[in-house]
Formats: sequence, C-alpha cells, structure tokens
Amino acid sequence: MSSRDRILDTVKRNQPDHRELPAVPGSAGEKTDADLAKQFTGMLETIGGTAYIVSGYGRIISILKEFFHDARRIVSNCPELSGYAETPVQFDDAHLLENVDLAVLRAHFGVAENASCWITEDLMIERALPFIAQHLALIIQKKDIVADMHAAYQRIAEMEQSGKASYGFATFIAGPSKTADIEQSLVLGAHGPRSMTVFLLDEEMSDAGFF
Amino acid sequence: MSKQHETKDHAALADQFNKDEARVDWHDKTLWFVRQKRDKAAQQVPEWESLRDMASQIKDNVLSHLSEYLARFEEQATRNGITVHWAADAKDHNEIVYAILRQNKVDKMVKSKSMLTEECHLNEFLQEQGIEVVDTDLGERVVQLAGEPPSHIVLPCIHKKKEEIGEIFHEHLGTPKGNADPQFLTHAARLHLREKFLTRKAALTGVNFAVAETGEFVVCTNEGNADMGAHLADVHIASMGIEKLIPGRQHLGVFLRLLTRSATGQPITTYSSHFKRPRPGQQMHIVLVDNGRSIHLGRKDFRNSLKCIRCAACFNTCPVYRRSGGHSYHTAVAGPIGSILAPNLDMKKYADLPFASTLCGSCTNVCPVKIDIHEQLYKWRQVIVADGNAPAAKKVAMKTMTWVLSNPGVYHTAGKAGRWFMANAPFTVNNGLNPWYKQRDMPEPPKESFGEWYKKNKQ
Amino acid sequence: MRVGLFIPCYVDQFYPQVGIATLQLLEKYGCEVVYPAGQTCCGQPMANSGFEHLTGGCNDLFIKNFHEFDYIVGPSGSCVLHIKDHLHASAPGNENAAVDIRGKIFEFVEFLTDVLKVTDLKARFPHKVGLHQACHGQRGLKLSQMTELMAPAFSKPVQLLSMVEGIELIGLDRQDECCGFGGTFCVAEEAVSVKMGKDRVADHLHHGAEYITGADMSCLMHLEGILHRQKSPVRVKHIAEILNSQE
Repeated sequence: MSSRDRILDTVKRNQPDHRELPAVPGSAGEKTDADLAKQFTGMLETIGGTAYIVSGYGRIISILKEFFHDARRIVSNCPELSGYAETPVQFDDAHLLENVDLAVLRAHFGVAENASCWITEDLMIERALPFIAQHLALIIQKKDIVADMHAAYQRIAEMEQSGKASYGFATFIAGPSKTADIEQSLVLGAHGPRSMTVFLLDEEMSDAGFF
Repeated sequence: MSKQHETKDHAALADQFNKDEARVDWHDKTLWFVRQKRDKAAQQVPEWESLRDMASQIKDNVLSHLSEYLARFEEQATRNGITVHWAADAKDHNEIVYAILRQNKVDKMVKSKSMLTEECHLNEFLQEQGIEVVDTDLGERVVQLAGEPPSHIVLPCIHKKKEEIGEIFHEHLGTPKGNADPQFLTHAARLHLREKFLTRKAALTGVNFAVAETGEFVVCTNEGNADMGAHLADVHIASMGIEKLIPGRQHLGVFLRLLTRSATGQPITTYSSHFKRPRPGQQMHIVLVDNGRSIHLGRKDFRNSLKCIRCAACFNTCPVYRRSGGHSYHTAVAGPIGSILAPNLDMKKYADLPFASTLCGSCTNVCPVKIDIHEQLYKWRQVIVADGNAPAAKKVAMKTMTWVLSNPGVYHTAGKAGRWFMANAPFTVNNGLNPWYKQRDMPEPPKESFGEWYKKNKQ
Repeated sequence: MRVGLFIPCYVDQFYPQVGIATLQLLEKYGCEVVYPAGQTCCGQPMANSGFEHLTGGCNDLFIKNFHEFDYIVGPSGSCVLHIKDHLHASAPGNENAAVDIRGKIFEFVEFLTDVLKVTDLKARFPHKVGLHQACHGQRGLKLSQMTELMAPAFSKPVQLLSMVEGIELIGLDRQDECCGFGGTFCVAEEAVSVKMGKDRVADHLHHGAEYITGADMSCLMHLEGILHRQKSPVRVKHIAEILNSQE
C-alpha cells in the first residue's frame, strides 16, 4: 500500500462526524468609494507605504521622477509609461531583473482594511519582478477599492468568471517588505522592495490635485 | 546543525532560563508587547469574535471531511501541473525532498519558513547528504548561523538580543564588530541573502493554507523571501502538513483576516502569495506530510489542535512561555499549542509539556480557531499519568493525598499536626528540601482551623 | 435559603478568617449557613496533576456533605470551577446528586452579585487596594471580562468592592495576568511560578497598593509568600474580608 493510500485510509477512518461549513460573509457594510479610498490611503501610510491620488499617468511620471530620480533601470507593464520605463511583454530569465531599481505595475484592485493590492502574474511580466525590484509602485483605479478580504475574494471570483485574470500565480501586496525579527524593531526593506508606492487613478479629478 | 536537546524537562530548562532575571524580564516584556499589538489589531475589527467562530467552524468542517478534501486538492493541484507527493512521516518527507533535489542535480537550496521542516529535522538530514540549505527568513538565518533551533514559530530569534545578532553577523557575514543596529544588520542580511536567491536553483517553502477546491496554496511572508526563492528557482518544493487545507478560496478571506492580526498585530503580511501553477519550465512540487496527524485526528479529545494555523498568539499570551522561552519546550513547535501537539508525537519524551502551565486559559481565548488549548492540557495530564509517565515519587504523593483527603478524620489530624510543626518547629518545613520555601515564605499557621472555630462558635 | 458553606482545604487550615468573613457576610444577607464538618477538599490538586482517576473518594465525600443544600457557596474560584466542571460520582446511583450540585454551587463573589443581588454593603476599608483577577474565576466562572476577548468589560469583584466606603482601587499594567500559583505548578515549576508571582507583586507595588485582594486565597497565599520574603509591608486580604470590614 502506498503512503498515499495508507494516509488517506487512516484519515478517513479517524475523521470526526460531519460538521457544517458556515456561510462566509459578504462584504462588511456599505462604504462609499471615497470612504474606502480614505481608509486605504490611511492604512497604507500606517504600514510604511505612500499613497497618491492622481488624475493620470502624466502625474504619475512626474511624481516618480521626483522621488526616484536616482533610478537607473525602470520596468513597467503600462504602455502609458513607455517613455519613462522599459515596457517589455516578457523576460527570458528572471535573473535578468536583478538590477531593476523601480517596477511600476498596474494592479487589479486594493483592499481598504489592510491597504493591500491584488496583482496577478499576467500583470507582473515576470513573477519575480514585484519582489526583486528595489522599489515598487502599483497603480489601481481609485474606484477599485473593496472594503475587506471577503469582498476581495468575491471580486477575484467575479473576475475569473468573466474570463479575466485567471492566474498561475498571484499575490496581495501590502506595503514594502519588512521585518521585526531583531528585537521587534521594525525595519522596512527586507528581501522584497524597500519601498511601496500606490497610485490611485481618479480620472474624474482635475490635474491640479494630488494626495 | 542545530543542537539536539538533551532529555531534560521543561521545569529544569526553565529553571536555567530564570537564572538571568533581567533577561527573563526583557524576553517577557518583548513578547507581551506582541500580545498588546494583537489586542490593538483585534479591536479594529468589530466582528472579531464572530470571525473566530467562523474560522473554528470552517476548520471543524475540514477535519470532518479531511480525506475528501485531500483527494480533491491532489486532483486539482495535479491538474494545475503541480506534482503531489505523500509522506507518511518525517523520514519519508526528508527523503522525498532529497530525491527531488538529487534528480535535478541540485546541491544548494534556499528555504523560507516552514515549521514542518523543523519538525522533520530536514536541514540536518540534507546537510548530511551534502546539500547546503540556507534559511532565508531573517530570524531563521540568525538561528541557523548560531547553530540553534528557532524559539518561536513566527519570531524565530526573539530570544536573541541585537548585540548577539550583531556578533553572529560579524562572525559570519563580516559586518563591523559591535554594530547592533537593526536597520544596518537587516540590510547586511538583505545583500547576503540576495546573492543566495540569485544563485540557487531550488527553493523550498512552507504552506500557510492549501485550497482544496482550486488546487492552489498560499504562502504568507513579510520579508518576501518565499517569493524571491520560488520565482528565481527552477524547482519549487512546498512542504505541508495534511491539516493545512481549507475548502474554498473564499475561506481564505476569513483566515487571512485573522492570521497576521493574531500573530503580530498587522492587518496582513506584506505578501500573501497564491501559487497555482508552476512557471513555464519550472517544476512545482508539494509534499503532503502526515507524521502522526492522521493518528491525532482519531483522538476525540485532542483532534482540535489540528485546526492550528501556526499564528503563535498562544505563545505571546502565555505567561509561562514568556518566562521560560521556546527552547525550554525542547520541541519544534513550543508554547501552549506545542504542548498539546507534541505528546502525540512521543508521549514519553514530551510528558512534561502539558504540566508546563498553570491552566490560566488565556491561550484558548486568543486562538483564532478556538482550540480549547487549556482544556486539552488538562486532559493530556490524565492520559500521560494513565500511560505510566508520572514519576514514582509523584504517584506516591498523590496516593497519600487521596487517602488523606478522602478521610475527614485523617485530614483533620494531618492538618493540625502540620500546623503544630510549622508553629513550633518551623525548620521542619522552612528548609532547602521544601521547594516552596526557596523564594517564598510559608503561610503563618493559625491557632485553629476554620473547622475548629466553627465547632467552637457555631455548633 | 439553606447554604452549604464549602471551605477549601488550605483556607480551612491556614486562613480561617476568610471562612469566617464568608460565613458572616452570608448570614448578614439572610442565608442560613451550615458548614458540613466532614468536608475536606474538592480534589483539584490531584486532578490537575493528572490523577483525576484518584478523586472518586473526594467526589463522593463532597456529594455526601453537600447534596442537601439549596446552594453551595465557597470563597474560591478555582475550587468551585473544579467542582462545576469535574464533579462526578464514583459510587453508583449518585450521579444525579453530582449533576445537581454542579448546578447549584457558586463562588462567593458571584453568589453575592447574581443570587443575593447585593447592592449595598455597609463596609469600610479606607486603603489603596489592588485587585488580582484569579484566572479560574475570571475565565472559567466569568467573574470578570478577560482582556484578550473583544467584548464589553465588566467585573463582579469590582462591582462589590466599589460599594466599600473609603476604598481606592488602583490600576495595573497587566490586569489579568496569571500569578503563577497553578496548584502543584507552584513547586514543580518553582522558578517560573515565583517569577510570575514577583512580577504580579511588582505591578501592584508600582501602582501603590497597600493591600492585594482577590477571590482566590491560593493566589494570595503565593503572593503573600513573596511579599513576606521581600519584607514588604503590603498585605494580602481575601475579598470576603474586605467586604466584611468595618475599619
């Protein structure tokens, strides 16, 4: 008898009587888009990231140029940034990304309760990119912020059902990489990017404003 | 390369730990701080207690259909292109991992945090076969370089002061002597481990949750080390205890809301990575490990401990853990949850652990999946004693106590005699043989017991 | 109502004044209190050490002594909890009596608040007092809310102590951390037990306590042992003594 069969056999024999699966909640409460954006940006600051509400890609480029003026190699999945960054559709080898200073990637949506963004591999160009870059910037639509993780998984299921964003790899990214392993002192910048910027695209706002 | 614990017991190890009182204070305060962060985070979620209920019920459902969920997960994962392996025990697991590495002609591997691999002593085994394993979680790298096991399942080197870590890095990474700045040391580790990520062809990760319905698994880290390892490697091996399943992806919402808030007080880890298919050209393996879990599933009083999501909230709230440290438990997973899991692995070796507790019950009330930890500690004590694992002296003492307390006449005489000796010959109890007396005074013996007063005044 | 007075073994032997205060208070509120002389112990020390199988004799003795009363009241959260959770008859035919007892046994504080519904105490104790929340009373009997639970705060001991004239209840850094007594733990894991007790004491001293009180004399005995060894002027006093005080 294989290990598999022995294990499954023992488990089946020993498992307790049926216990009902509870219903998972839908999203908690009816918050407005503005409220969710406010909660998201506030939470992002708390976890060591920086948020900007912007009207368009022009604004994104000027902010990135200002805060990452030292960045030599910039990679992006946004054709709108093709003047500012490399915008390849793929890489032959993830190791070639070793010297990327800044990755600017479009993500699907944000989650207000923890300031995370959901990004699937089709938006990453290469799986390693959001992790190997020294700095990461993500772009989401301001209206694409859900309240909590229940709403997030609902959104993911909806996207899949409509044929979008099925993935072999995907992740929630919340802030810069970090550790507090040394005497509980929080250090931003462990093995992933050392900083995290999130741009909330608000096409309805005028050019003059940014958060 | 980790030290094998001698067969000491928790009380002896804790006694040693307490020789340095200032250090105990430091360790206790550090972990209490983490407990407080958990409290603050939980307070931000108005539905916290009902989330705990939900998580508990989901895991109850999982255990009641574990064989079906396992079969479903295997089917889906295989369809996704993941190779599924089954390991009956630790030895099996280690050999499967080694076989994969050998097949791919790999002799260097990076590893992100996996308490399961600690349980299986994977690192030692692989090292003996000539395979270099680099632990990439910062805390784990520290203890690896120090030649010690982790003392906490979430904060592996919480028992180490920054000066000590500075010393370790000076010796192994060449950082300047005396530098104990966490920022500087973390950056040094970043550079040191980046080189490993870029050059290793194989990466092993743990699994926080595996989804039966979709055949994907989730790995949560703050550091990004699991991802750096996996996405740069040709071979990704994931090691998972069979109990880590959840039914559907929507259930991740419940667990991801509870896990990190319980563990560190953060709303979520920086990365919650969902692995579903290997990269084109990459091999992805998952090793499903039993190692006593299927047996434990059959223990009616104890099976609930399989619901554990390894958050360590119980460690942080435990006044005994904070004042004895993880190494006093001489097992991979320490603290309250470890004390109810370990006796299933080896009842003799871990007979001491369920007694390393005052049964205060705090652990049960921070557990995000509502494991009845303190009740299981009590029940394990009965099982351990019934199994013949109580020391002979204790058995005699208990039998005597039973006789005295079952016979009112004997009890009254013994009580009176005891008080007489304490009043007239205090040295008979106030001496080195009396462990109470080591650091505490004995209570003052009153002239009469309550019973004697009542007889005189009320009857 | 007829109340059977359950006095824990160590209270009987070392702190009779706690039993006396308990009895006097119950009588003050109109109870007919009887102390069955044949009682000894609830069996908890054996049970918590893994020897629950030896507690049959204790259990039957308890049932014999207490089954006839309307209520059973004892000044000890841990002992009362143990009976509530673990009392079973070993002699055949007695199990109904055991179940009955488990339903009508109360710890002293909760008896005052929940059954006698005391609202006014006529007690005086003009001192700074620290309240030690004993674990079994708090988490087992729900005498007060535990800090790890996200739920509204409440405290039955505080409710009663607030009725005492002149008392000043101090705050603490850690409101409900265990004192480290834990039954045989206090000697089997002496180092950790004492360290926990010392830390509790330090918290109370840091906030200026003149007295440390609580509903469990076992915890207080442990803290008192440490206070005496430190030659501290701070004293322990069971809550029954404070609620019965006319200082």
